[in-house]
Amino acid sequence: MSLDISFIGILIGSIMASSVPLILAASGELITERSGVLNLGVEGMMIIGAISGFALMVITDNLFIAIIGSMLSGVIISLIFGFLTQSLLTNHVATGLALTIFGIGLSAMLGKNFVGIPGKEFPILFSSLKESIPFFGPILFGHSIVLYFAFTLPFLTNYFLKKTKLGLVVRAVGDSPVSASNQGINVILVRYCCILYGGAMCGLAGAYLSLIYTPQWIENMTAGRGWIALALVVFATWSPIKVLIGALIFGGITILQLHMQAIGFRIPVQFLSALPYLMTIIVLVVISRDSRKIKLNTPTSLGRIFYKEK
Amino acid sequence: MTTDLRISNISKIYPGCIANDNVSLQFKSGKIYALLGENGAGKSTLVKILSGVVSPDNGEVFLNEKNLKLSSPLDAKKNKIGMVFQHFNLFETLSVFENLSIDATEDNKSLRVRINEILKKYNFSIDLDVPVLNLSAGHKQKVEIIRCLLRSPKVLIMDEPTSVLTEQETEELFISLKKFCDEGILIIYITHKLKEVLSLCDEVAVMRKGKVVSVSQTQNEKIETLANKMVGQKLAKIKKKINISKNKDEIFKVKHLNFYSDDPFETNLVNLNFSVKKGECLGIAGISGNGQNELFQILSGEIITPDTSIIFRNKEIAKLNPKQRREYLMAFSPEDRISQAAVPELKIYENVALNNFKSSNFFEKGLVNEKKIKEHSKKILSDFSVNTDNVELKSQFLSGGNLQKLILGRELITAPELLICYNPTWGLDVGAINYIHETLIKINDQEKSTILISTDTEELLKLSDRIVVIYKGKLSKIMPSEEVTPEKLGVLMGGGSID
Repeated sequence: MSLDISFIGILIGSIMASSVPLILAASGELITERSGVLNLGVEGMMIIGAISGFALMVITDNLFIAIIGSMLSGVIISLIFGFLTQSLLTNHVATGLALTIFGIGLSAMLGKNFVGIPGKEFPILFSSLKESIPFFGPILFGHSIVLYFAFTLPFLTNYFLKKTKLGLVVRAVGDSPVSASNQGINVILVRYCCILYGGAMCGLAGAYLSLIYTPQWIENMTAGRGWIALALVVFATWSPIKVLIGALIFGGITILQLHMQAIGFRIPVQFLSALPYLMTIIVLVVISRDSRKIKLNTPTSLGRIFYKEK
Repeated sequence: MTTDLRISNISKIYPGCIANDNVSLQFKSGKIYALLGENGAGKSTLVKILSGVVSPDNGEVFLNEKNLKLSSPLDAKKNKIGMVFQHFNLFETLSVFENLSIDATEDNKSLRVRINEILKKYNFSIDLDVPVLNLSAGHKQKVEIIRCLLRSPKVLIMDEPTSVLTEQETEELFISLKKFCDEGILIIYITHKLKEVLSLCDEVAVMRKGKVVSVSQTQNEKIETLANKMVGQKLAKIKKKINISKNKDEIFKVKHLNFYSDDPFETNLVNLNFSVKKGECLGIAGISGNGQNELFQILSGEIITPDTSIIFRNKEIAKLNPKQRREYLMAFSPEDRISQAAVPELKIYENVALNNFKSSNFFEKGLVNEKKIKEHSKKILSDFSVNTDNVELKSQFLSGGNLQKLILGRELITAPELLICYNPTWGLDVGAINYIHETLIKINDQEKSTILISTDTEELLKLSDRIVVIYKGKLSKIMPSEEVTPEKLGVLMGGGSID
């Protein structure tokens, strides 16, 4: 079989598209975790984003409102998590798990009437360039605006954490909330903001699935991507750029193994399906071996409840 | 311009404990003030109030006759009150510069210039771009001090600053503090170390059970007078009667102990030979970092060195692990109570159960015999006057002194023949130190032996029958303690020779 160059270009383009929800959700969760909050509700927030985006699209017929609405719904549902963990001091892990279960259930209920409704075509940018340039065209052009945003997000996140004052504050809170509080930083407020930001990104990731990637509503359509995003953050040792690499590897191998299955490679299908998970973990573990860096990037207070002395 | 800080009628009540009871104090710049008290006397609460971390139930704080509203740490900062906490308030994973820049209002470039000026002025040398977790305790403290100095403070509060410092670092700190004082910064120095009060401070306020019990000039005070004020009763003078009799059996013997390590931070031990007699206390003196850690670990079985011979009660035990050594009736009290001797997150009785023996029956058929352990723990708590009878309490809520009593109790309740302890009174207040010294003397009176590894010469002279000095992994000759003076020890500890 001859793989011509334009096919590879199209393949890479589709790999990029499939990794967008992972990049968005993981980048959001990364900020949340960097502030010391472990939100296991990523999957739940994504699915809520997916249904609310799709529902708003159907109701208002306006994609812009749908996208913004999905982010807002992510914010609202993460606000529940924030209120429980930051104001009522509940356990992060238990609350996050509950949020996921709640999100999946709520989305199924809300989505009942939206099953089977066809989605709307999402505008793509530079579609003429996509056709006219071989190889690079399908890679660089003809994507939705959300994809371009997703691919700049890890770099923005990196810049935010490393170079800005606010990023420094977020890292400081994640390192030692007690010290931060004694320095006059409002730890609870910072953590709330990070949780809500994470919620918005997860909502957007969900909307990308239901509005752009496979424009329709199917129950449980996030299919575990939220969990992958969570794992990416940890295996990428809280580095935004490594999250991007991990998401691309995962998306890439998912697509490749589908092609391999289609072509009929004589490898057990189960093994091929497991390949993306295995490879992503192996690669991320290998590139993140520097124990010193792990120590410096890991938010020391992750998952610990903070309360202020009075 | 002079600074005048006045605390008026401050009260703070926690459930079940009056931390500050109507505290009034007055401070003026140009002097160094000591706030002295045992652990739990209310010093830390008072400084937390001054730094805005907690707010008082009652009372007011005046700075230059201005009534301060200190409802958050920001308020303290705005009013130029700087604070160096006992447990450092630093961000370990951030670099030194990031730690300093987090609450700065200027841009990074001019901040760096200012930091470098401070480094130069006070002769600090710290790399600004390494993460804080790579720094020594002394350097971390300097980072905290620089953070305060950047805000040109009027008041600088130091909360037990020397508890983590080496002797040299302590001296350096004192020099800096005196400099700050000369520059007009009002310094409040919180401590329970009497010597430091006398050598550094001009005026001393003593706190006990939340109340200020005395304010005086340090020149009028002596260690004994301060100690009595602090504890509230006359401390019994402890003096051990030395009991060396030549004909007693040697219960413990170490022959040709060598230890070589690849780790540059560990000290090699070279040909150590010593023995301990029945009922004797052998003191091992030395400045910390001269091989005491390694020696303790080898004696307790944490490190097994091949070709070493350690004889205990006529048995060769060098290859046994700590648990097996305990079965032979050795007991150990490591230096670091929180990370080595106990697990702070576990409850008291769980910590007691960690030290299980075949004979103690704490575990039956793989199940925990909670009732038995709890009974046993209760006995320890009451026999060793630990300040609680609640065995369900998490160990981290015990003060250092009570935790040490619990650990000693756990080790001693099995009546071991030999107790090896390493800095048993490190960081404790006078009352607890006294208790622990009494306990150690009692062990010897019962014909049991102790090895006391300590960096505190006074303690060694008080408790040991014979003393040996460790310097760079080598032992001096063993001396009967009546022949030893603090001066002699000082020479030997510094690597000198007395013959």
